[in-house]
Amino acid sequence: MTDLLLSRRAFLIGCSVAASPLVTPVSFASASGENRLVVIVLRGAMDGLDVVRPVGDTAFAGLRPTLSANPGPALNDFFTLHPAAESLMPLWKSGELGFAHAVATPYRQGRSHFIGQDALENGTDQTDGTMTSAHDGWLNRAIGLMKDATPETGVSVGQQRLLVLEGDAPSDHWFPVEESQLSGQGAELIAALNAADPLFAEPFAEAQRLADTSDGMTGGVPRGKMQYAQLGTYVAQRLMGPSRIASFSLGGWDMHRDQVRSMAGQLKGLSDAILAMKEGLGRAWGTTLVIGITEFGRTARENGTGGTDHGTGGLAVLAGGALKGGHVYGKWPGLGESDLFENRDLLPTADVRAFPAWALRSMFGLEAAGLEATVFPGLDLGSDPGFLL
Amino acid sequence: MEAPSLLEDIRFGYGPLAGRTPGQGGIDPDRVLAQLAAPDASAATWDRPPLAKRWNLIEIYAQDRKAGLLRQGAKEADPRSRKLIQIEEEDAQSFISRPAVAQCGFRERLVNFWANRITVAASGQILRHLIQSYRDEAIRPHVTGRLTEMLKATLWHPAMQTYLTQTQSVGPNSKLGKRQGKGLNENLAREFLELHTMGSGYSQEDVTELARLLAGMKNDAEGPRVEDNRAEPGRKTILGTSYDPGRDEIDRLVETVARRPETARATAFFMARHFIADAPPEDLVATMAQAYLDHDTDLTALYRAMLTHKSARSRERQKLRTPHELVVASLRLTGLTGLETGLRGFRKEGMKLIDRLKIMGQPVYLPARPDGWPEVSEAWLTPPMVSARVDWSIDLGRAVGERADPVAMADFALGDLASPILRRAVAGAEQRWEGVTVLLSSPDFSRR
Repeated sequence: MTDLLLSRRAFLIGCSVAASPLVTPVSFASASGENRLVVIVLRGAMDGLDVVRPVGDTAFAGLRPTLSANPGPALNDFFTLHPAAESLMPLWKSGELGFAHAVATPYRQGRSHFIGQDALENGTDQTDGTMTSAHDGWLNRAIGLMKDATPETGVSVGQQRLLVLEGDAPSDHWFPVEESQLSGQGAELIAALNAADPLFAEPFAEAQRLADTSDGMTGGVPRGKMQYAQLGTYVAQRLMGPSRIASFSLGGWDMHRDQVRSMAGQLKGLSDAILAMKEGLGRAWGTTLVIGITEFGRTARENGTGGTDHGTGGLAVLAGGALKGGHVYGKWPGLGESDLFENRDLLPTADVRAFPAWALRSMFGLEAAGLEATVFPGLDLGSDPGFLL
Repeated sequence: MEAPSLLEDIRFGYGPLAGRTPGQGGIDPDRVLAQLAAPDASAATWDRPPLAKRWNLIEIYAQDRKAGLLRQGAKEADPRSRKLIQIEEEDAQSFISRPAVAQCGFRERLVNFWANRITVAASGQILRHLIQSYRDEAIRPHVTGRLTEMLKATLWHPAMQTYLTQTQSVGPNSKLGKRQGKGLNENLAREFLELHTMGSGYSQEDVTELARLLAGMKNDAEGPRVEDNRAEPGRKTILGTSYDPGRDEIDRLVETVARRPETARATAFFMARHFIADAPPEDLVATMAQAYLDHDTDLTALYRAMLTHKSARSRERQKLRTPHELVVASLRLTGLTGLETGLRGFRKEGMKLIDRLKIMGQPVYLPARPDGWPEVSEAWLTPPMVSARVDWSIDLGRAVGERADPVAMADFALGDLASPILRRAVAGAEQRWEGVTVLLSSPDFSRR
């Protein structure tokens, strides 16, 4: 668990890294480089057609009279960005923001949040969303293929663990805690009791290590709902340490009504989180990729209550210096009556799993065979979409 | 009612209640079961209004919400909307305070066990209005009855219908299905078989057929019924038995499934895992399942089989208190109800226990998944969750520990179950409050 910390320290005082018994030999699939991946699970089914609007499609305005009323900045001559995400436009212009449109997981039967999110995080190829037999997460299986991964390579940020990181490969779990008011002696007594209990010993030691190494992060953190920008800052801090893969979830995308108002709040939050990560990562942002994925898209038509219902084809949000941004990836299926999936949803033209798969391949060196068999069973990697620098 | 022994209180309740002398001995099944027949005046102070008294408020609230009157403290809203907001805040508080003051800890534990076994989460506006009724009207009245009746009540409750999206399910050959091209939603059908009852032994075909049988179910202010325009016509064959459309047929299906050996086994396993051990002994599960089948899904028979098994008497406490159980046990031990204000170190307006449970990883009525809160210990012991348990113990220790006698408190909490190392640590703390914190944060106090 401390391999990376120790080896870095050894490196700093001038020892030969190769000579350290704590450093495992470098393998092809590597978690020890400077590349960083952030996976945001956007829970509730984000409406991709509202975030990145195909205003160049003649059918669009008719399908969404209310939702298309307030125009946002143009991304290119076909798509505009939702106005609440305007703060991300500088990233778009500098090539650090992009999207994949009309993408979806293989799940097609039911449009259930629960099944859809499980399928998204598990990485299954089953159209009914049935998970792979281990019921684990694809990011965990990917870390399992990195020979030099440590339990800190992958970290989920937030109160509960995320399925996407759950599984056989150990991973870290973190959220901010307050500074203790205990005396040193009181703290020692508590530590001794925890160390003596087989269930508590390990997580307590880990919690203590986090508190000790958090460089003041424990102080002054307001309790209650974590603000998006703060969340982004915490993620960046973890990635500046030994972690290379971070995941967190942002809920609240299920907008069956009053979407104009709720989407504005949600996108502001997501934009804040992305910008905070960029700031927190500094130069490391240049080798970072952020992928925001959601369980499915929403209906092409707005519904009778100013919202949208569960759909199919959706959007993936891409950001980071590692991205070849300024581009909306994917093949546009069209919004005409006959173009829609089951006469209601944006037709998915690509498997959304291909994007994290290609990221794992080019950033962490995972082999195609492992990606197509283990991480994302049944995935056809296809040709490189070329979205990374 | 005779007071429970310490072990009974810890394993089958929320720990000893300050000021109440525990009974003698280990586990006496009759004494534990007597709790279920006894009235509990303290807990009853937290009785909540039933759904029948809320529909009207919910309607007004929805109108106010649509008109945007609920922002900024709902000052512009109808008084009835504000009333509902207040009622629902008290609902959440009752999750903590009701077991904190209860004399009959076993009944409160059972309510929470069953509400978790057959989960509904208060995710979203509608479910926030329905969740308390689900617990009080679909779960609580049935914890001493037959599982069959609880399963009917939960399956038909509007909270379950909403949570597992049954309300969207339309028979493809029904009037509405044909007209609008809508179809089935298998969510509830699947979870009923997978999570609420059998867990195994059925096929995808059974799920689909059950979804066809359930299509058109509706339950609101007008009561439970099957709506003709959504119901799928024709017979359905589920687990080898044929069913016609209609409410009675759905109930007949529930009775058949409840009596299946797979349901007996899954139910016994979940209960044994909740109360006894993460990996419960096989003969315990088998004995419980048999008692359940022998007594036509009677739950008291199931409980008795568990309580009389030798593993129920074991002094080794293998299970871990969830954050909710830990907070409640701490309140009982320190004689608090959860409503106190002005405690040292806490905010002026109170302990904010609803926020606290969120920080500890168990937000009130909001399990993340339809299979409910985890029932195994390690799920509650991630490093941040362990930190949050210690933080809670520090805050409560500081608030109530100034004049406490931590050694006496440890005796009262654990008696001779306390490990020698815990006794030494509590006695060895520098300050009284730290002694209380050491006790509350100890693995000993977290185990049950």
